[in-house]
Parts: sequence; C-alpha cells; structure tokens
Amino acid sequence: MWEKPWEVKEAIAIGAGLVITGILLQFCVGAVNWSLFAFPVNVVVLVALLLLVACGYAFSNRVYVLEFLVSGSSAIASIGYAATLTVVMGLVPQSAHPSGEVFGITNMLSWWPFVLVYFWLTLIVGIVGLRHAVLLVRGKKRSLATLLSHVGLFVAIVCSTLGNADVQRLKMSCKVGSPEWRAQDEGGKVVELPLAIELHEFSIEYYPMQVVIIDNATGKTVTDSPWEMAMTKQMEYAAANVTDSVDVHYVEWHSVGATSAAYVEAVNKADGKSRQGWISCGSFAFPYHGLKLDDCHSAVMPEREPKRFASSVSVYTKAGETFSDTILVNKPLNVDGWKIYQLSYDEALGRWSDVSIFELVKDPWLPAVYCGIALMLAGAVLLFLNSGKKGVEQR
Amino acid sequence: MITWNEFLLFSLPAVALWASGALLAWKQKRNTAILLTLAGTVVFAAFIAGLWIGLERPPLRTMGETRLWYSFFMPVAGIITYWRWRFKWVLSFSTVMSVVFVCINLFKPEIHSKALMPALQSPWFAPHVIVYMFAYAIMGAALLAALWMLYSKSSREMAMTDNLVNIGLAFITIGMLFGAVWAKDAWGHYWSWDPKETWAAATWFIYLLYVHQRHAYPLKHKAALWLLVVGFVCLQMCWWGINYLPSAQGASIHTYNLN
Repeated sequence: MWEKPWEVKEAIAIGAGLVITGILLQFCVGAVNWSLFAFPVNVVVLVALLLLVACGYAFSNRVYVLEFLVSGSSAIASIGYAATLTVVMGLVPQSAHPSGEVFGITNMLSWWPFVLVYFWLTLIVGIVGLRHAVLLVRGKKRSLATLLSHVGLFVAIVCSTLGNADVQRLKMSCKVGSPEWRAQDEGGKVVELPLAIELHEFSIEYYPMQVVIIDNATGKTVTDSPWEMAMTKQMEYAAANVTDSVDVHYVEWHSVGATSAAYVEAVNKADGKSRQGWISCGSFAFPYHGLKLDDCHSAVMPEREPKRFASSVSVYTKAGETFSDTILVNKPLNVDGWKIYQLSYDEALGRWSDVSIFELVKDPWLPAVYCGIALMLAGAVLLFLNSGKKGVEQR
Repeated sequence: MITWNEFLLFSLPAVALWASGALLAWKQKRNTAILLTLAGTVVFAAFIAGLWIGLERPPLRTMGETRLWYSFFMPVAGIITYWRWRFKWVLSFSTVMSVVFVCINLFKPEIHSKALMPALQSPWFAPHVIVYMFAYAIMGAALLAALWMLYSKSSREMAMTDNLVNIGLAFITIGMLFGAVWAKDAWGHYWSWDPKETWAAATWFIYLLYVHQRHAYPLKHKAALWLLVVGFVCLQMCWWGINYLPSAQGASIHTYNLN
C-alpha cells in the first residue's frame, strides 16, 4: 500500500481516515451546527470552496495527492462511502432533535463523518466539472455530458447545503375576514412579515359519496357480502331530522355543520330480501349514521375523501400592491420571494373551517439550486442520447 | 368502462403475444418477434388507458398500479434492447419479468381506490412515476444480464449492460429531479431526506458507482456486476421495501398506498 500509483485501496483508506476524523470531531465539538452557516457565513464558505476547487484543479498536475483526489479510484471510493452512509441513514430512524443517542447517526445530516464524506465527494465533483469545462473549451465535445452532470450536481449540492440556514419557514393561521401579517417560525417565535394575507373563504371539495358494507362485529369492510347496494338519493348538504326517533331521515340543509347523506336501497342476492334507509358520514354537528342490513352486515358511508383544499385570499404587500388569488395544495402562491402553501385548516370543523393555515417559505438560494437541477437534467438527457454508441462502435 | 375486473381479458392475450414473440426471437424470426411483442404491449397499453379513463385519474398511485407500468415497460425495454443489440434471449427475459408482475396483480390484488389525494394532483405526478418505472424496468433488464454473466462467467454482454445502465441512470436522474421540482410545490422543499428520498439517493449512488467503476477499471467486470445486484436491492427498498422498514414507519410522506 501507498506505493504509487495509488488505487482504490488507498482511496478507501483515505475515506476511513475521514470517517475516523469525523467521529473524533463528533466527540470533541458535537454535531455539525448548520445554523452557523446563515448569511453571510455561507457566502464566505462558498467563495472559499470555489477557490479550493480552482486550486485543486490548478495544482492537480503537480501535487500527487491532488492528482489522486480527482482520479477514478478516489471517485469510486467517495461514492462508495456516500452510498454506504446513505444506506445507514435509510436504515436508522432519523430525528432532527435526537435524544439519548451519543454516537450521532440518528441525525445523519449533522454527523461529522457524513458531512466530511459528502464534502470529499463534492470537492471531486467540482474539480472534475472544472476539468471538463476546460476540456470543452479546448474543443473536446464529448466532455459536455460529463461537464453538465458534474457542474449541475456541484451547484445543486453546494447551494442547497449552504443555503439551508437561510431558508425561512413560517406558519400563518388566517381567520376569515381578518388580515394577518404575523407568522410563527419553527421555534414558535412570532415574526412580522412585509406582507399581509386576508382569507375570504376556505373550502374543501370532496370525491363522490361512497357506500360500503361492513362486518357488524369487526367494523371492517366486507367485499363479498350477498347485498347489492344502490344510492337512490344523495344530499351534499344535509341535516338529520330526528323528530321520529325510529326512522331518522335527512333533509337538504345548507348551514354550518351540514353533513352528507344518501338514501340507499339494498337487495340480498341470496334470498331476495331488501332493506332501505338513510346513511350519513356525519360532521361535527351530526353523528354518523349507518343502516343495519342483517345480523352480520351494515351499510355505512365512509368519511368523504377530500379532492381539493382551496383558500381564496387577498395579499397586501408593503409596497402597496394588492391582489387576489386562490391557494391550493400543489399550487403555492408566489409573492416577493415567498412561496405561500396551503398547509392545514381547522380539522374539527372540516369543510366548515373558517381558519386556513398557510406555510410561508423563503429560500433565497432556490434559483441557484434550480440552475443546478437544470444542468443535471441536461446532463442526464445527454447521457441517454450518448448511450448505445458504445455497443455500436464495438460491433 | 374498464376496471380491474377486466384485467385478465387484456393481460392474457398480451402475455400470449409476448410469449410467442419471445419464442420466435429464439428462432431468429426477428421482425415477427418484434411485431408480436409490440402487439402485446399495445394490448396491455389499452388496458392501462382504459383504467386511466375508468378511474378518472392516472393509474399511478397504488403498488398494483405501478406494477402495471412495470409490466408495460419491461417489454418496451426488451424491444429496444433486442432491436438494437439483437440478443435473442432478451425478449424471453422481459416477458418473464413482465409476467411475474402481471401474476402478482392477478393473485394479490389490492383495494383499488378511486380517489387521488390533493398532494398527488399535479402535472408532475405522471412524468415522475412513469420515468421512474421505465428506469426500474431497464435496471431490471441490466440485473438479469449481470446475473447471467455472473452465472456463466462470461463478459460478452458487458457493452449492452453498460448501455442499459446508462439509459437507466439517465431516467433515474430525471425521475429524481422531477420529483424534487414537484416536492417544492407540494411540500415546500425540494429535498427533505424523507426515507423514500434517502433510499432514492442511495440507489442513485450505487448506479453512479457502477458507471465510474466501469470507466476507471473497464476490465474488472465482476465487481461491477455485483454492484448491479446491490443497486437493484436498493431500488426495491426504495420502491416498496420502505413500506415495511421500521425506520420509515410514520416518517415517510411517500407511503400513500397505506392510508
């Protein structure tokens, strides 16, 4: 070992050295504190990292360790270590605030060996990216795919990691009719924002009503009962009329607390008997209501499955702008660098909630990360287009 | 209206067509083999399309539905590989793989719900899952080639395997990045180290390792081939294994089919 040229053995030893160093660091200084990297520290670190990559490239012809750093063996070992630690992360339950675990692997993202191994990998990716950029400038066209995927990965990893401390993630609870400009951060601290949100309406749309047959004893859904069901009447907004306690029936009712109800007719395929009556999934104001078919079976309406959560809002910015829009799941609203997400509502009230809870996220490094992702995508497309050439050339 | 009840009506002729295509490939009837396999794939695609219309949403949510796409993409990958590199065993492999997943869907059907929760209603949903399923199918083919070479101690199929892994890796990368862009809109962050994301990263690393190993040490076949076995295990973990993994219980926002 350690006779030049070095190979994978030596690279594995270097990786082991990094892991041991990381474990020692973990015991000496504790887990990596990523919040220290908030602006402007992350910009300083970024500049230092870019310089390191540039120097690494510039001296890779003269210093053997640097030449080895960007060799295939070193790349293989670093990916191998990263893969192994990522698998460990996938096997050990993770927690942002681990308690009672001294080793550190339950919070892998702040575990020194993990961070050092990813740093090693990132450094290689950066230098290799730079090397292929130079090769491309010198006219080697085949470097393009490698260049794009390496530079893209470098930009995405570096910017997402360094930018993480600058991400602001707030929760804002809005009540219909009262504009809100205060939100809470993850620690529960109140933050005043340069924008205000006024909630006009929160609504939930549901998928069509369903009727299922359950086993009276276990409450579980039965798929092979002799009963054939048909919903002959459906009411989206209904109230139970309980004046006649023997036979509850439902009437159209559009006020707060209304439930969904359906009139079902059931026929027993085995003996021709029939049963009919109302069923309802219930709401905070009305209890759920099933229909007993026989000793073993009942027809019930399962809780409605939501199709769409929507908040209709007006947003007021400090610059004096006002605009109205609808915030949906998967369709956040973009305002002044903030993305506003539909997060939750008053679940006890369901569709009658007059409160909508938003998540507001500001990530100043996001455009840079997207640039990295776009480069990686282009690299992947080129990898696909270039694949296949090899076999044909050899044939 | 096509539902899961009609699955047998479509899958049986599709499997018959695939099997006869595979048989003819052994007999060097190249064009007929490709045509028959293609016909089987069209029949299978018709079922997927019909189910899509019947469910009023893309059939991509439950494990059963993603297996459907796997069964569909296996012969597609098989046709491409056979057409390009002419290995007569490829169509047999793709047929067997596809039939395994058809059988799981026939004998272990799940409850196929009609509803699609709001977090899944996105234009990114279909491309994300379909691209991944295609990558999985390609990596499945690469695994079979690797196992064959490990068993027969040959390295004849190495160039083809490299190409398969390159194609698969390109699609895994695209699927992962589509997922990241979607996650930003759905959950507020593009990468949260959710258990499924962690395993996706591990899988991606293993296939990257293969590509770099082949590049640096093109003559050391055996180590590279074993990487394909490890990579496929990680891939299974990512696809369905995490549903049973203690570390992912209650922690993953990706386990839709269990709700």
